[in-house]
Amino acid sequence: MKPEEALGAARAAAAARDDALAPGMSIEPTERVSTERLMEWANIEPDADLMRSTRRLGAPITWAKRQLVHVMRQYLRELQSQQTRFNLNVLIRLAELEDRVVRLEERAAVRRDVDER
Amino acid sequence: MNVHQILSGAGPYDAVTTQALAFRDLFRAWGWGGRDVAAEIDPRIGDRIAPLRALGAGDGDVLLVHYSAYAPKLRGVLDMPQRKLLISHNITPARWFWDHDPQAAVVCALGRKQLPEFAAAADVAAGVSLYNAREFGSETVIPILFDPAGLGRPRPRDSQPPGPPTILFVGRLAPHKRQDAVIRAFELYRRRHAPDARLVLVGAPINRAYDAAMRALADELSPGRVTIESGLTREQLADRWRSAHAFLCLSEHEGFCIPLLEAFAFGVPVIARAIGGVPEVTGDAALLLEDEDGESVVAELLALAVGDRELRAELRERGAARVTAYSPEQTARTLRGALESLDRRSDVIGDL
Repeated sequence: MKPEEALGAARAAAAARDDALAPGMSIEPTERVSTERLMEWANIEPDADLMRSTRRLGAPITWAKRQLVHVMRQYLRELQSQQTRFNLNVLIRLAELEDRVVRLEERAAVRRDVDER
Repeated sequence: MNVHQILSGAGPYDAVTTQALAFRDLFRAWGWGGRDVAAEIDPRIGDRIAPLRALGAGDGDVLLVHYSAYAPKLRGVLDMPQRKLLISHNITPARWFWDHDPQAAVVCALGRKQLPEFAAAADVAAGVSLYNAREFGSETVIPILFDPAGLGRPRPRDSQPPGPPTILFVGRLAPHKRQDAVIRAFELYRRRHAPDARLVLVGAPINRAYDAAMRALADELSPGRVTIESGLTREQLADRWRSAHAFLCLSEHEGFCIPLLEAFAFGVPVIARAIGGVPEVTGDAALLLEDEDGESVVAELLALAVGDRELRAELRERGAARVTAYSPEQTARTLRGALESLDRRSDVIGDL
């Protein structure tokens, strides 16, 4: 078979089949992150396992860094909570503004209808 | 002539860094000087790439900016008086990362937004493919420097790899590469045509969560039939290519896709989605899928690519021609021409 004929042949063979896989996980692009997802992210929870060294023999450095995180955990929790407080407050304000815009748009639409009548 | 290369970031496994180092070898062979600097440097790269602050360009020198990511630290380079060649290495649209790696999404979004500004500030702005160049209104292409000699020996002509049918994809484990679609199409092919088939996915994951999600999908659909691996040596990767019966690429975004040329170099039939720079790189040497072709069509194409000897032989011949079209000598000539044209412009300005 020539390469130019292969796609047509494959389409014909596929059309004759009725054994599709059940729908499952599929990666889709996201143009905009939802407010709910932003809420999840706003509550920051850094994974200590992500703390590592990228050097060739970095295991001892990784160990030392993780010890440092452990020693400083009280201060780091304080930083986390401050950052999360800020993130969540900004998001709540954003959600309120979105709601308000929706309400104003609905009210404007109703007013337009009344004016047109 | 002195050519200084400027990178946004440099790392040991980074394709752009590898490309810059290969360019430097060429410059040395041509008797040119200059140094390579980056805004961010992975310590494993050693002293081959210097920090950005070490850039000491003279008035008549040429700057080659490799643009591959959001790079606020490179803004200062735009104001430098030297002639500039910008090569855009393509940035994935952010929409593929928001749900899986928001930090990468931010970097991609800003990088793509900043690209026109960098392109406008360069004397010549080129893409690694025409698709890539046209993203910022250019028609200048300087392809990836691809040297098949460094990959390892391919299988002898007309010989099938031993063992069960093996489908291969090489590329980062990332959302836009659509390994999820590869796994699903492979499983359909396996059920219909080759129960003992294997799928090998080679590529570093964007993060652990994404890695875990892909492994879970593979375990759920094709338990024990899918291998996901990364960090392979050159020889190990060559082994994977030699064992492959077909290369399946269902990426939704590719600026160039070097593994396509690697597949051609190893004589492996290619099935790929016709997006971005893919049709340009493959020419007529691959089985290209349209948007409407679902996993069922992919599964049938896999059966043809693995089982039809005439088709395999023809694709192998055409693939070899594509490797020749992207020969390192050809790319080196294109690169040298672009840089020498800038050097001549520097002379003219100097004379004024």
